[in-house]
Amino acid sequence: MDLSFLTVQVLSALRQAAFLFLISSGLTLIFGVLNILNFAHGSLYMLGAYFIYALTLHLTGPAGFVIALLAAPLGVAVVAVVIEMGLLRRIYVQEEIYQLLLTYSLVLIIDDLAKIVFGPEYKSIPKPDAISGAITIFGGTVPVYTLLVLGLAPAMALVLWYLLYKTRTGKIVRATSSDREMADALGINMSALFTLVFAFGAILAGFAGALAGPARTVFPGVGTEVIIESFVVVVIGGLGNLWGALIGSILIGTLETVGIVVFPEFEMALIYLLMVAILVVRPWGLFGRPLKVKALSDKNLGMEAQEISPVHFSMHPLVRLIPLALLLLVPLMAGRFYQYLLTQILIASLVAIAFNLLLGTTGLLSFGQAAFYGVGAYTVGLLATKAGFTPLPALLLAPVSGAVAAGLIGFFCVRLSGVHFAMLTLAFGQLVFAIVYKWYGFTGGDNGIQGIPIRPLPGGIDIASTQAMYYFALAVVGISVEILRRMRSSPFGATLKSIRENSQRAEYLGVNVKLYKWAAFVAAGAFTGLAGGLYTLMEKSISPDMIHWTKSAEPVLMTIIGGIYSFAGPAVGAAVFIVLNSYLVAWTENWALVLGLILLGMVLMLPGGVVGFINEKARGALTKRGWVRKWLFSKSTAS
Amino acid sequence: MAFLEINGVVKSFGGLRALQDVSFSVRQGEIRAIIGPNGAGKSTLFNVMTGLFPPDSGEVVFDGVRITGVLPFRIIRMGIGRSFQITNIFPRMTVFENVQVALFAHHRKSRNPFGMARRYPSVAAEALAILGQVGLSEKHELSASILSHGDQKRLEIAISLASRPRLLMLDEPTAGMSRFESRETVELLRTISREQGLTLVFTEHDMDIVFGISEKIVVLQQGGVIADGTPAEIKANPRVRKAYLGEETTES
Repeated sequence: MDLSFLTVQVLSALRQAAFLFLISSGLTLIFGVLNILNFAHGSLYMLGAYFIYALTLHLTGPAGFVIALLAAPLGVAVVAVVIEMGLLRRIYVQEEIYQLLLTYSLVLIIDDLAKIVFGPEYKSIPKPDAISGAITIFGGTVPVYTLLVLGLAPAMALVLWYLLYKTRTGKIVRATSSDREMADALGINMSALFTLVFAFGAILAGFAGALAGPARTVFPGVGTEVIIESFVVVVIGGLGNLWGALIGSILIGTLETVGIVVFPEFEMALIYLLMVAILVVRPWGLFGRPLKVKALSDKNLGMEAQEISPVHFSMHPLVRLIPLALLLLVPLMAGRFYQYLLTQILIASLVAIAFNLLLGTTGLLSFGQAAFYGVGAYTVGLLATKAGFTPLPALLLAPVSGAVAAGLIGFFCVRLSGVHFAMLTLAFGQLVFAIVYKWYGFTGGDNGIQGIPIRPLPGGIDIASTQAMYYFALAVVGISVEILRRMRSSPFGATLKSIRENSQRAEYLGVNVKLYKWAAFVAAGAFTGLAGGLYTLMEKSISPDMIHWTKSAEPVLMTIIGGIYSFAGPAVGAAVFIVLNSYLVAWTENWALVLGLILLGMVLMLPGGVVGFINEKARGALTKRGWVRKWLFSKSTAS
Repeated sequence: MAFLEINGVVKSFGGLRALQDVSFSVRQGEIRAIIGPNGAGKSTLFNVMTGLFPPDSGEVVFDGVRITGVLPFRIIRMGIGRSFQITNIFPRMTVFENVQVALFAHHRKSRNPFGMARRYPSVAAEALAILGQVGLSEKHELSASILSHGDQKRLEIAISLASRPRLLMLDEPTAGMSRFESRETVELLRTISREQGLTLVFTEHDMDIVFGISEKIVVLQQGGVIADGTPAEIKANPRVRKAYLGEETTES
């Protein structure tokens, strides 16, 4: 390895670290003060890049470039202020997951709006001649722009350091970040502070985008790539910790550069492996501390939380059979398209209901369910193509492999809760994705596996036909859902609910909380794996896309749409999601935008989901009549 | 061998010594108060005794078994119940379910994933009996989150009782209660202790309650024990009078 090569690589690693730090410092700052993990932070980065692109169309020359570089982040800040004051502020008192989802809905909305305004293609941003050349350092060719980045990013870091450590407002920000209660007690104007910090974090993201845009390219999905990278950085460093963000950026920047040179196959996996390794040793990151359990009132902005009551009426057992009866009759009335659509809905329902065993019942937000879905799907796919398995034995092994994967991953995750749990499951999910995506020899890599042979079931039932597949999926999903339902109303389920409501108190009942969380995680993983297996049988082809983290977001969305605290909610949400997807995709290219708007509306107006809303209204209307109550509902219980 | 023994417990947080060489013992069936000004180390002692964190040195021995360093859920299974200073219930479950889930844990039924929770008539009867004991039977169908503060405290006691502890540790059981509610709670605790031979260890700010029901009192100050004796002895102890009662009795 010669010096010129080394120079180029070191500078390239540092440039990557510089971008990462600009993005993740804003992310971690926002988390520290607002206690929100901002999924839309990557989209703000993207806006920064698009803004400089739009500005440089009109402003040319070095002066124009400088103006654009400064104006773009300010434009992003304006967007951020609108987001914070118009949307986020309304849900600070809600549970963490609603804030997370609101920012996720913004990802969908902003990305799609960018596509509408700027088009779907990659855009490159012209640099003025003065900074577009390259110079030679130690024999290596280095773009001038890289040097500019390496000058500007530390300068920005210095500005950040000065603002936080040398100004009064900065001290308040740091105080709030380390002890919110104390800051509250000191009478700090939290609302103004939150807006300020969110806007400032957005400026950092926008500046990163504006600075990186000319060096990289910009396209509508760039935000979702960037955000995962910066999640990894802040989680490694410790959520809310700026030094952590700095060290994390340097680590990841270096690893990415080394990875590309040394292990080009597994560069992506390396990052997640590093994250997992660090979190196994230090669950709260290198510089992080365990978060205090933050009660709703901690944010104390003088708002009342809109309590989403998990106390529901459960349906009478006979009433529950009606949907099943209807589903059995469908093929008599509906054609193949609808049978196929319903099969999709059934599979998605199973994923969502299994997911909600974690979220709604146990209070664990898993952002890595796609991993188990993928493991189940690939189990069936690989067994059928490589080992000649028939569908039934292959499908029986799908939940087994799902459970094994969940058992391993869960072992590391159940020590954590809240956002940390979500991030670690996300990282493990992406690790599985990265492995499947690159392991051409075994999984087919990004090509996936096509034309999976599906042999007939015993008795000559050919589930390659749409109708047979529909009934087969109905049977498998029906049985699974009944098991999950019983699980939720069992003593085990009651114990999971007590962990959701108050895990410390549950521990002091003599419950081994980690073991129960783990058991729930494994059960959810098993059913998700089974659903993945069904998917393979239905589609006869699989690809790593189904393991990508955006797939893990789907059960989350379905559950929120349908209703987190009702058993049927996730299934209803799955139906809404799949139907919308099928029809909107045909009708508009901007399906993500519509989905984002729906999600945004749900989070703001119907946090209990469709079923929660109906439940609330129906309870009022129906239970007035004694006979209705007697026949439709049994006693109220907490869901 | 005493029922509960605390031997030379030391605990520091950073540079701060929260507990220094705390030792005392409790007989079976005793009602024991731990008092001391704010910051004396009462809650830290409670947390060490119930396994929330281990002491730096020293040990806690319960019924002949060393419980220092044992995980909280195992300590609870040995027969120690505890309540918390800040009300610690399962807010969005019904009052009945709060106790029911505690009983599942106690009877080792929590792990059953397939039986229906409501098909346990013996557990249901037991839950209702405990709720009756604390005076909440009429409210058993309500969501615990809508109970009054006093009722929530009572519910927490019910939850703690459901694990059938032999030693019940209560961290300020009457905090935030009205005078009337406090007196009721004290009566309740006294009755339970007498009827079930339950050993009670509690911290409390209200000196009327402390001297009204405890049989022995240990006084902490700045992390150390400054007195240990009967209420009469504590009242007469000049160190306590000087360090604690003299300043604090006029308050609250």
